[in-house]
Amino acid sequence: MNRQMPALLKPFVLLTYVLLLAPLVIVVAISFGTSPNYQFPPTQLSLKWYRAFFANPEFVRAFFSVSLVLGLLSAVVATLLGTAAAIGLVRFRFKGREVLEAFFLAPLFIPEILFGAALYLSYARLGIKPSMTSLLFGHIVVCAPFVIRNVTAGLVGLDPRLEEAAVSLGANRVQAFLKIAVPLIQSSIISGFIFAFIISFSDINLALFIAGPNSTTLPVYIFNLLLFEGDPSVAAASTLQILVVGLLIWLVQYLFRPRTLL
Amino acid sequence: MTVSQPRQRPYWVALVGPLGLYLVVFLVIPFINIIVLSFYTHSPTRIWTTELTIANYIDLMDASFMTVLLRTLRLGGVCTVICVLFGYPLAYFLARASRRTALIGLFFLVMPLMVSAVIRTFGWLVILGRNGLVNSAITAFGLERLGLLYNETAVVIGLANVFLPFMVLPLMASIERINPALEEAARNLGASWLQTFYRVILPLSRAGLISGCLLVYSAAISAFVVPMLMGGARVRVIGRQIYDPLLISYSWPNASAIATLLVIATTCFAFAVLALMRRSARQEQGT
Repeated sequence: MNRQMPALLKPFVLLTYVLLLAPLVIVVAISFGTSPNYQFPPTQLSLKWYRAFFANPEFVRAFFSVSLVLGLLSAVVATLLGTAAAIGLVRFRFKGREVLEAFFLAPLFIPEILFGAALYLSYARLGIKPSMTSLLFGHIVVCAPFVIRNVTAGLVGLDPRLEEAAVSLGANRVQAFLKIAVPLIQSSIISGFIFAFIISFSDINLALFIAGPNSTTLPVYIFNLLLFEGDPSVAAASTLQILVVGLLIWLVQYLFRPRTLL
Repeated sequence: MTVSQPRQRPYWVALVGPLGLYLVVFLVIPFINIIVLSFYTHSPTRIWTTELTIANYIDLMDASFMTVLLRTLRLGGVCTVICVLFGYPLAYFLARASRRTALIGLFFLVMPLMVSAVIRTFGWLVILGRNGLVNSAITAFGLERLGLLYNETAVVIGLANVFLPFMVLPLMASIERINPALEEAARNLGASWLQTFYRVILPLSRAGLISGCLLVYSAAISAFVVPMLMGGARVRVIGRQIYDPLLISYSWPNASAIATLLVIATTCFAFAVLALMRRSARQEQGT
C-alpha cells in the first residue's frame, strides 16, 4: 500500500502536523523560560512561571477547585446518563429509535456558543445566578454524546453469542447483560468517562456565558489573562492543561485502541 | 445483533428516559426560550417586554450587521477550503497507514482538538504577535515589524488550525472504507496518482468530505474565542455579535434573534451530517 503513496504525501503530512502542534509546543516551551515577554525559544530554562502559577490563588482555584471538580462531576453524571441511554439505543428496537439517537447526539453539532447563550438566557429568565452548578448542568449536556458514542461502539462490537450462552446456561437476560456484557464494555465506558471529563475540562464557550464570578474555570481565566496580556504563568497553566489532556487521551488509546475518536 | 425479543416490555424507556428528560430541560427548553425571546420587544429599562414583534429581525437587515454576517460566512468558507486542502492528504495518510502509525497520528490529531481552543490560540498569539516568533525573525534581518495579528488572515489561520481535526476524522473514516484494491486497479490501468485521487478516492469519500465541510463550516461561523483573540475589535464576527449584546449591553431580544438565525442554519447542517453518516453506515452494512 505504501508504495502507492506519492512521494510528497509524507512531507506534506509532516508539515500539517508541525502547523497543528506548533502552537502547543511553543506554549510549553515558553512556560519553561525566564523571559516575561513570551520569548521563543527560551534562552534559559526555569520553573519560575510554575511557581508564579502556584503562588496565584485565583489560578490554583480555577484549576483545582473549579475545572477539575467540574470535569469529574460532569463526567460522572454524563457517564451514568449516557451509558444507560446507549444500552437502551443498542439493545432495544422501538419506534423513533433513530430520531432519539440523533437527538442524543445533537449537542455534538450545536455550536457551543449558541447553547451557552441559550442557557444563559434561560437562567437569566428564571433568576438563577451563574454558578458552578449552573455550569455543571450545561457541561453534562455536551459531555453525554461522547459517552454514548463510546459505549455504543463497545456494545455493537460485542458478540451476542456470549450472552446467549449465559442465557442457555440458566441466567436471565439482565444477569447475562450485567455479568457478561458490562465487564466487556468496561473499557468503552471508561473511555466515554475520560472524554466527558476532557470536554468539560477544556470547555470555554459555555463557561464564558454561564460561569459565575466564583466559578471561573481554568480556560476562562486563561482567556481573560490573554485579553489583558498576562505573564507566562498563563503558559505554565496551559502546559498543565495540555499535560492532563494528553495523558488522558493516551490512556484512552491504550485502553480502547479505537480507530476513530469523534 | 439484538439480544432482546420483539415482545419485550418497554424497558428501554427506563434506560433512555433519564437522558431524554434531561436534554428536554437543559437543551430543548433553553432553545425554545431563545426563539420566544427573539420575538419579544426590547426595552431599555426592563430588558424586554412580552409584546411580540419582528423588529429584532428587521433590525438585522442593516448594513453593519450584513457586513459582519458576510465576513463570518466568508471566513468560514476560506477556513473550510484550507481544512480540505490540508485535511485530505492527512486523512488519506492516516487511513492507509499501519495501525501503529495511525494510532500515533490520531493521538497527535485528537490531542490538540481536545486541548482548550484558548490554549491553541495562545500559541498563535506568541507566533504572530508584535514581539512574536515571526516578527523576531523579520527584525533579525533588519526589516520592519509586521502587524500579523488582528486581521482576517490571522483569524483564518487560527480557525483552520483549531478545526482541522473536524475535517480529518470523518474523511479518514470514509477513506478507510474504500478498498485499497480499487486504487491499485486504477494505478495498474495506468492512472496517475492525481487521476486515481480524482476518479476513485474523491467520489468514494464524498460523504466524509461533506460531513467534514459541514462540521468545520458550522464550527467556524459560530466561533468566538479565536476571532476575539486573533481578530480583536477589527474582525467582528457573529459570535461576538451574540456575546456582546448578551453580556455587555443586555439587548437580549436582539441577541436572541441572531442566535435563532444561527440555530436554524446550523441545525440544517447537523441534519445533513447525520443523514450522510447514516447513509454511509448503511452502505457499509450493505457491502
